[in-house]
Amino acid sequence: MSKIAKIPLILLGIVLGFFVVTFIVYFFNLDMKATAMLEPILEKWYDRLEHNQYI
Amino acid sequence: MRDLKHLIYFENLLQEANHALIAQARADGKVCVAYTCENVPEPLLNLDRACSIRLTAPHTGSIDIATYYMTNLLCEPSRALLERAIEGGYSFADCVITPDGCTMMNRAVENMELLQTMGKDKPGFFHEYMEIAFKNTESDVALSVLQCTNHILTPLHDNYGIDISDAAIRKAVADHNRICELIRAIGDFRKEEKPRITGYEFHVLCLATYVCPQYLILDKLEETLEELKTREPDDKAYRARVLLVGSEVDDSGLVKLIEEQGAFVCCDRFCFGSYPGRVPIVLNDGEDALTQVCRHYIRNCQCPRMMNQEKVYGRKQYVAELAREYKADGIIYQQVKFCDPWAYERTLGAAMLQNDYGYPVLSVDRPYNVASSSGQMRTRVQAFVESIEIKKIQRGGKHEDR
Amino acid sequence: MKTVEKVVNPVRRAGEQSPGKIYNEKLKVRARREWRGVRDTFYDYTRWLYLMSVLGRFIVVPRNIKGFFRYRWMMSYLFVPHGMDKFTIGLRDEALRIAHTSFNFVIADVTQAIANCFRGDRRVGNDKAYSDKCVITDENSMVTFMMGFDTDKVHTILREVPTMFASNIFHQFNVMHYLDIAQQYGIPGDVCPMPEAEAGISIEDDFCVLGCCAVQNNTTCDGSLMGNGIIAKRLEREYGLPTFQLATPLRHKEPDVLDYAAREIKEAIAFVEKHTGEKWDWDVYFTAAKRVNDATRCRIAQMEINSTPYPQFFGAAFSLYNDTNYMGNSGRNADFVAKDHKLLALAQKGYEAKRMYAREYRHRCIVWGVQPQYCIDMLYWMVQCWGVMPLTDMLSVINTEMIAEVDTPENREQAYRDMAMLNMEMIMRNHTHGGYKVLVDELWELCEQMNADMVMMWEHMSCKALTGMHGQFEEQARARGIHIMWVSHDLCDPRVFTRQAIRDQVNSYMRTVLREEPLDPSLEIIPDNEAY
Repeated sequence: MSKIAKIPLILLGIVLGFFVVTFIVYFFNLDMKATAMLEPILEKWYDRLEHNQYI
Repeated sequence: MRDLKHLIYFENLLQEANHALIAQARADGKVCVAYTCENVPEPLLNLDRACSIRLTAPHTGSIDIATYYMTNLLCEPSRALLERAIEGGYSFADCVITPDGCTMMNRAVENMELLQTMGKDKPGFFHEYMEIAFKNTESDVALSVLQCTNHILTPLHDNYGIDISDAAIRKAVADHNRICELIRAIGDFRKEEKPRITGYEFHVLCLATYVCPQYLILDKLEETLEELKTREPDDKAYRARVLLVGSEVDDSGLVKLIEEQGAFVCCDRFCFGSYPGRVPIVLNDGEDALTQVCRHYIRNCQCPRMMNQEKVYGRKQYVAELAREYKADGIIYQQVKFCDPWAYERTLGAAMLQNDYGYPVLSVDRPYNVASSSGQMRTRVQAFVESIEIKKIQRGGKHEDR
Repeated sequence: MKTVEKVVNPVRRAGEQSPGKIYNEKLKVRARREWRGVRDTFYDYTRWLYLMSVLGRFIVVPRNIKGFFRYRWMMSYLFVPHGMDKFTIGLRDEALRIAHTSFNFVIADVTQAIANCFRGDRRVGNDKAYSDKCVITDENSMVTFMMGFDTDKVHTILREVPTMFASNIFHQFNVMHYLDIAQQYGIPGDVCPMPEAEAGISIEDDFCVLGCCAVQNNTTCDGSLMGNGIIAKRLEREYGLPTFQLATPLRHKEPDVLDYAAREIKEAIAFVEKHTGEKWDWDVYFTAAKRVNDATRCRIAQMEINSTPYPQFFGAAFSLYNDTNYMGNSGRNADFVAKDHKLLALAQKGYEAKRMYAREYRHRCIVWGVQPQYCIDMLYWMVQCWGVMPLTDMLSVINTEMIAEVDTPENREQAYRDMAMLNMEMIMRNHTHGGYKVLVDELWELCEQMNADMVMMWEHMSCKALTGMHGQFEEQARARGIHIMWVSHDLCDPRVFTRQAIRDQVNSYMRTVLREEPLDPSLEIIPDNEAY
């Protein structure tokens, strides 16, 4: 098969791969689970910030 | 000090919302105009044969029925008023005029209307709700004039034939000013280093001018003023002079409680107090009286709902000026629990009076019935008084001029 | 007691029959996303990709990253997909598409709002030329006074929306820090947490600082009015931003307040002109007015569909979309027009197909009161778990009058009154203030109009305007034979009432008073008290 003829196959492979990976992330809620793990780290970051508290 | 001759008379009047003077006023053919808020121009409720009675609920005990209607999430004064109305305590009222000022008081009166607690046997009875000004501008004066016309003057005239002419308003203002001048003159004695009137006594007299037909107490107030001119003050120093600021204080017991801790309440800037409620209204002949009265109330209003920043900062400056004038050592900002406007006003006021004006401030919220938590209040006030004393000692016993 | 005919769904829902099972008490997020059948799951997946692209496009801008790490409230936006899952629980077909269309649009709008804030923020983007044409407005405020300013020349920055309101939608705990700050500085805990949190954000200096001026409003309530003073003090004295307080009368049904309200609008416009250097444009205004009328017609049509046995656009999506369109947009953004019509087309399609979103509809319910329903997926839960269909909520019962939309000299004067009227008829406030008739009497009229046998009364414990009429609601509901379910909460402070505690109030009522069993027992107890 020529290289040009392989391009659609490659593209299809990329799209399918993208779909499989993202669908797994989507369906098993991996994006939010990962974000939930980030949250305590971010909270510590925000707690360290200095603020000019003033009323 | 020798007891004031008429103090017990006024104290007794304040034990009841529907007291003997109201009965006398009704017998005199007066139209009793009940109201709930200092934002309603008082002289307009005292035109001709109308007389204003600000609603209070002395010796409030259980407020369970009102709590059913309004829940325990609203301030106790509003519930106490509703409870008293349901009990029939305001049956004297020939009408009720309420501004849509604070939500809670408005709901209390709306419940009174829906439950028909007043006026069942009075064909002319009415409830009126007014919009009131939010800012100190001429546009707000115009709003106030229109609202007073539509919701005070016209209903009084249409239902009770009250004279609402410009001349009648001017006369009512003159009568109002006479009361104000008396209260001002009595209150000025609090400026003395050894004052010849206590904060409690003053509050009783001032409160009486809100809840009694003013024409029936004028003579006794005049006599009291004369009596004070020759009264010998106690030869005792108060531990601290405090200015009391905040929401409704229709219970002189609060002032008494503060003074029992060794403080002297040298000035009052609260609802039912003399500032700004007993500041005389100056009229000229160049403009109609109604507009001038409305403008006076807007200009002098110290209610936290006035929202332009000039008023927001101005209220704190007003308190600072009073504190300076009456030589207060400290300021007590108090509010009744669940009062939204004063929750924020107290916070900002306490911060600004401390940070910008350098006054020690006690910021406290309390139940309506002070007696129910008097221990807590006493502790807070005692601690505050002691802190002021310590500051004085550190300054070598001198009052700090700010 | 009033009863309504039960409506049974003849179609078995595709996919997950018990969505409650995907919650996991050990996690702060769902164990997995809902299986909705192949077609709807694929649709939901594509919408998730779209949301990711919106968030991705936002975060690749360097100043937005800077802003993300500067402001604590930005953390909430990491959970936007989680929020979306919350508001699509159990949905299929047109309802799913309606929820996504409306929510995604709102999310995109809020994302743009944050981007605009960061662009002008002195601490982040510091685009002074842009900032000098920005006007900061309150969150709980109609922006009608901005309707006549070209949006390319003057930018309206509702900076309290992304900081407090929208962020709370995606993360129920995010405002607690600011409430604690406000209370630490002396504001009592019994006031409404919304303005209290805003005051806390100001005290903490966690608002974006931009703009040439600010317009504050006394809507919604006493708390909002008072919190403004604290915020304005900082704006004026520390940041040198002049503020204008736009007074909106409370007695909005009385004709004798309208002229004053109109004068206030004129003053606000003059203030904006003075500080931005831009002039009011009547062409721009009347174009926006036409859009406002169009939105009103669409909303009326949606309510008419909801009055039938087959409501389509309801719940948090309906409420939030209306908030954004009616209040935050006020006709200024042309994109809302197409969305309105698309949503209406979807609703009409769903209605014609008699789509239902639970196995049965047992009760028809008006949702009244001030709602926390953004941080809790309450209304979709109610219909999925108990078959109680929420026909509308109080915040969506807003203006139904057309405003003048043709440019004539008379209409230019009328325009000020129209803007004033819209201002006074601001969401929520048009019922919580203005007298008992608009709060109590109008509820019963709505029950009649929409054939409701039930009212779910949100009792926001810090909202004195509503709780002050508790007894009247009870007595009048009894007299009319309407079930009234009281559901207490404290808005955005979940420490007072957790999500399950809120739901349990409905559970108790349904079991003990109505003696009913849940349609979906898996939803009766959901372990999401700690979830975002």
